[in-house]
Amino acid sequence: MKGERRGVKGLPNVRRSTIFFIFIMISILLFASLLLHARQSRIRSKATLTANAEMVGRLMLTDLCLFTEARYTRHPSMADLHSPFQDHPFAMDHFPSGSLVSPPRFHRETP
Amino acid sequence: MNSSLERHRNIVDFALSSLLRRKGKNISLLAVYTLIVFVIASIIFFIQALKREASLVLKDAPDIVVQRLVAGRHDLIPVVYGDKIASIRGVSRVRPRLWGYYYDAAVGANYTLMVTDNQPPAEESIIIGSGVARTRRLAEGDLMTFRDSSGSPVLLTVEKILPAASELVAADLIIMADKDFRGMFTFPRDRATDLALTVANPREITTIAAKIAQRLPDTRPILKSEILRTYDSVFDWRGGMLIVMLSVAVLSFIIFAWDKATGLSAEERKEIGILKSIGWETADVLLLKFWEGTAISLSAFLVGVILAYCHVFFFSASLFEQALKGWAVLYPRFRLTPVIDPYQLAVLFFLTVIPYTVTTIIPSWRAATVDPDAAMRS
Amino acid sequence: MIELQRVTKSFNAGKSNQFTAVQDVSLSIEPGRVTVLKGPSGSGKTTLLTLIGCMARPTSGRIMFHGLNTASFPGAGEAGEVEITSLPERFLTGIRRASFGFIFQHFNLVRGITVLENVMLPAYPVGEGHGIMRKRALRLLEMFDISRHALSRVDFLSGGESQRVAIARALINNPSVIIADEPTAHLDTMLSREFMGIVGSFKNEGKTILIASHDPLVYDSPLADKVVEMRDGRITHDVGPP
Repeated sequence: MKGERRGVKGLPNVRRSTIFFIFIMISILLFASLLLHARQSRIRSKATLTANAEMVGRLMLTDLCLFTEARYTRHPSMADLHSPFQDHPFAMDHFPSGSLVSPPRFHRETP
Repeated sequence: MNSSLERHRNIVDFALSSLLRRKGKNISLLAVYTLIVFVIASIIFFIQALKREASLVLKDAPDIVVQRLVAGRHDLIPVVYGDKIASIRGVSRVRPRLWGYYYDAAVGANYTLMVTDNQPPAEESIIIGSGVARTRRLAEGDLMTFRDSSGSPVLLTVEKILPAASELVAADLIIMADKDFRGMFTFPRDRATDLALTVANPREITTIAAKIAQRLPDTRPILKSEILRTYDSVFDWRGGMLIVMLSVAVLSFIIFAWDKATGLSAEERKEIGILKSIGWETADVLLLKFWEGTAISLSAFLVGVILAYCHVFFFSASLFEQALKGWAVLYPRFRLTPVIDPYQLAVLFFLTVIPYTVTTIIPSWRAATVDPDAAMRS
Repeated sequence: MIELQRVTKSFNAGKSNQFTAVQDVSLSIEPGRVTVLKGPSGSGKTTLLTLIGCMARPTSGRIMFHGLNTASFPGAGEAGEVEITSLPERFLTGIRRASFGFIFQHFNLVRGITVLENVMLPAYPVGEGHGIMRKRALRLLEMFDISRHALSRVDFLSGGESQRVAIARALINNPSVIIADEPTAHLDTMLSREFMGIVGSFKNEGKTILIASHDPLVYDSPLADKVVEMRDGRITHDVGPP
């Protein structure tokens, strides 16, 4: 009994550093497989992206449908700069998504 | 066996056993650390994916959209403006766009109504986005009631539902016939919402826009590049809720680093003294502290990033949905295409792993350089 | 053999609380013999032990080692002689790890980890194979009859058991010199005698033993080949073998 060297609960002795390195290795492998998955998904989603781009061209759309709660957040690229302030010059954004989407910056002066 | 490698392994063994000695504290540290990395990485993945999707999908948006401004506000544009614009050299096509918003009081949702002459629905019929169908539980053939500008009900039949894969661009769309649209909103015949232009040579877009602004001073041309740039600045790092989320994350992080950096406890100091007295050199002790820090920060980084990827790309960033949805009733169901930006991940790595490891080593420096005979004295 | 020539150790030199622990000590430690440093606390015994054991450098004077395996040490003179006073820290630590085993007065075991890990700890930075190191540690535990505690935490051991762990730890790197600081201070008579028995077995193996103690059980023991009396940092009496 004393001659055998057993760890906890009779399992053969595994060094903690071994467990740690295995864990790190597995994580890195998982991460690498995610990179592969990303590559695969990009290839697979091409058809959908093309179809959506075609719809955008056909319907003359200008924005993604992300924030449907307010006009100026639904079409941020079309938003006129005054919508958020129509009630009062210093009125805060009414809608939560207004803090996610800032009015687009246009690099030309509008008359 | 390679003695340098063995030395490292031995020291890692002891580092892990040191961490396990204060199990509760270190496990909660690891958990919170992982959470912080998870949140930040999720944000990074989400934004990158959205930006890419936007740039790929919106590349066929109109080259220029001309809006009319009255008293600084978006107003309906006279269709005759289109003739003036069509005469500008380089403009190959001018098409009026008819679109607007409709608030559905029954469910509290906003829809985008529009007219198209490219595969339009029949009269008194509509083609709806799958988000609308979902929100109102509509199927093909069902009737949908609207209220026109005089308050009278308008019944339209659902002719077709757009595919679910198009939710990101068309979830809230309701496409109707020109006659129905104008009738419902008493939309003047000589007006449009705005004008969409096709330009033959993309390099002339800016010049043409300048000419439009000059000839029609009450208009505002919006370029495709500006449309696309909007989505580069969506989720602008400098704005709003993101700053709050990031600040919370960074602040929590600083608190942990501070806890580490404000010096060692007496017990930790004593332990380093013991190690030095039994033959560990300063370098050995520092390596020990390095591995204590790295074990946690590296694990937190890897697990956090992996979880973030799964969260954003397998679960459509469902944890962000509440924040993104805001008060919207209609929120699109979409599956983002994964994008991994190595630069941003590298930055995240250097911002999370390195400072934590450093704050574990620095306070130990002084204790590690103490003369071993001090341990004899205690 | 370890030779000290006019060794002095002062602390806080130049400051108002300057304190000289060891003053002008010249001494030879014979290999394979038991040398006891006898004297009250504050006599400089502990400091002298740290100097001999390469844990600190003397303020002045020289310490020479003869007969060590000095092949890799710089400044090795003829006949394997090394002066440790001028060696850089890395080599000093190397010598200390290879040649000296320390048993501290308060044992200085690391709390919260197992007995086995405590015993292996001094060998960790050396980088030899884990299996070999572990076997040696277990053999040592068996030698001192504490192998049943191998995986218990040291916090749960009695005084005598803790000391045996400390002794086992001191031996893990197979040192040729054992240094013990007040080893019997926390032990009863029976355990003290047991300790001296262990010292005897070390001597039989040819190890050099250096003990600092004010316990008569130690300095009056027949095993003690040389008893050096110290007071206020100086040697007052040197009773050695004829």
